[in-house]
Amino acid sequence: MDRSVLKFEDVWKIYGMGEIEVPALKGVSVQINQGDFIAIIGASGSGKSTMMNLIGCLDTPSKGSVYLKSKNISKLGESDLAAFRGKTIGFIFQQYNLIPSMTALENVLLPMEFLEYNSEESLSRANQLLRTVGLADKINNRPGQLSGGQQQRVAIARSLACDPEIILADEPTGSLDSVTGKEVLQILIKLWKEQGKTLIIVTHDINIAKNAETIIELKDGQITSISKLRGKSK
Amino acid sequence: MKPGKCFKHAFAMVLHSKLRSWLTIIGIVIGVAAVVAIVSIGEGMQRSLNERLGGLGADIITISPGFSKGSNMVALRGGVHMHGTEGGSGPQATENEAVLTRSDVQVLRGIPDILQIDPNIRGNVEVSYLGKTGTVSITGVDQRVWPRITTSKVKEGRTLDPTDQNVIVIGGRLASSYFGQPIGINKIITIEGSAYRVVGILEDQSNQIYIPIMMAYQILEGKKTDQYDSISVKIREDRLDETIAEIESRLMTSRHLTEKNKDFSVTSSKQLQQTMSETLNSMSAFLIAIAAVSLIVGAVGIANTMFTSVLEKTKQIGIMKAIGARNRDIMLIFLTNSALIGLVGGVLGVIAGIMLSSAMPALMGSLPLGRGGTAISMSSVIMALSVSITVGIAAGLIPAYQASRLKPVDALRYE
Repeated sequence: MDRSVLKFEDVWKIYGMGEIEVPALKGVSVQINQGDFIAIIGASGSGKSTMMNLIGCLDTPSKGSVYLKSKNISKLGESDLAAFRGKTIGFIFQQYNLIPSMTALENVLLPMEFLEYNSEESLSRANQLLRTVGLADKINNRPGQLSGGQQQRVAIARSLACDPEIILADEPTGSLDSVTGKEVLQILIKLWKEQGKTLIIVTHDINIAKNAETIIELKDGQITSISKLRGKSK
Repeated sequence: MKPGKCFKHAFAMVLHSKLRSWLTIIGIVIGVAAVVAIVSIGEGMQRSLNERLGGLGADIITISPGFSKGSNMVALRGGVHMHGTEGGSGPQATENEAVLTRSDVQVLRGIPDILQIDPNIRGNVEVSYLGKTGTVSITGVDQRVWPRITTSKVKEGRTLDPTDQNVIVIGGRLASSYFGQPIGINKIITIEGSAYRVVGILEDQSNQIYIPIMMAYQILEGKKTDQYDSISVKIREDRLDETIAEIESRLMTSRHLTEKNKDFSVTSSKQLQQTMSETLNSMSAFLIAIAAVSLIVGAVGIANTMFTSVLEKTKQIGIMKAIGARNRDIMLIFLTNSALIGLVGGVLGVIAGIMLSSAMPALMGSLPLGRGGTAISMSSVIMALSVSITVGIAAGLIPAYQASRLKPVDALRYE
């Protein structure tokens, strides 16, 4: 059975900077399976952000194909792609990227509103998710009233709102101190283990990456190594 | 995203940029308030005009001697009027000579559509009452006809009757306040040294005195019997234009006149009303056009705010797209936002406009038509609101489109 949730086939991403073309990804091919825990590492400029954008369907490749759940994302229209992205991928960003004017609860509700989920079910799900990340008492706080770690936990709750198959975290601990960072990482690992999500973490920090099953290393837009650290331990 | 949620987010956006939203809203408020105030003042003037002139009756025509700009506010058959004035042979010259006489009345009697004929003379006389003296206007009327032709209503007492001699009917204001104290029924007032009894007081707010025409000849100097200052006739209401034409042609024939040396005018209150009402309408249309300009400025303000807002929220748009927002959702949120700004501006503008227009009569109390107050019609309110929402949406269209087209990857990177 094909367990692939994400497949890159000779993916190129070329940015045009005036007359010079800058390739950010040069023919990347990789397959990520359901339930994998992948860390993508690389120095800045290695192409890992570009790769993350492609995994997250925020961008489309210049050449080659990206298949998400066997759908070619280049072939989807804007509206379908947005809905597909919302349903399939939960984003976690380094800067948390919560909407500052909304409370924690409203932030978690937002993805479900875009996908037109039933209001009452959304509300109870959002409450439950905030409980899961340990913020049951902060649901009515705005991001400005929360610490960095708390904000990132709201972001995790939000990423899970539509029950996506893939959690895509971009430097999730990058703005946190090491203790809080570890806590956040533990929450993510727990989710991966308990809920069987595919977890992809993009980071430059090898210590974070070491928690993953597989580390994909990028350099100059190409994959230099794919190292399996441990087998399926689940 | 469902429309309800969309509205919720748009509303939150308005609330969260309070100062900027309010400043933008003020722009719309000013425009809408100006339009509403002008429309309602215009309608008030129209109503007051109708009350004043409509009361004169659509079936009354006045024939007066002379054919000049001054002698009548509106001469009928504008073309003829133009002709007369540019003819240069002198409306003034004819005015001095022209008189209406008994023979003109005879001519009018021959027109079947004329029901009543009331020849009048008028002038100013010195009147005294309880030691106080003043000059007021007096009209001598045919007391057999006048009660049936006048549109003034008697408030107290009675109107003139055919056997009356030394009695008068006076206007409401003359009775109530002209002499400092009210004049009641059966009081005696002195006109040019002779005593007259007040038998009736009219409802209107005039200082007029009405007196049997035979008495008027005795009081007013320089008026010859059987010469009239004007002749009022009551006609069949549905035959206004035809009757006017008939009167003109018959009088011209009997007075041996041509269009060039025509020395009388025929006016009807209905046509006077129409002309004034047209003037009023074009005046308010002009003012509304000016007010509309400020509404356009307000719309530009909304567009400006929306562009700023899109710029400011670029990152949020990126986040929203990352978590599943479609272009349509973003577009709707921003459009609803600008429509809301328009709506709030419209509502406040209507309120401000109503307040402004109700303050207006006090400000222009000296203007006769201003006293009519203002009229705020439901249709103008609904129109103002729909215009302001439309303006909001139109102004938000391009910014919202721009917001919706942002690429998520670029928007997310925006700081």
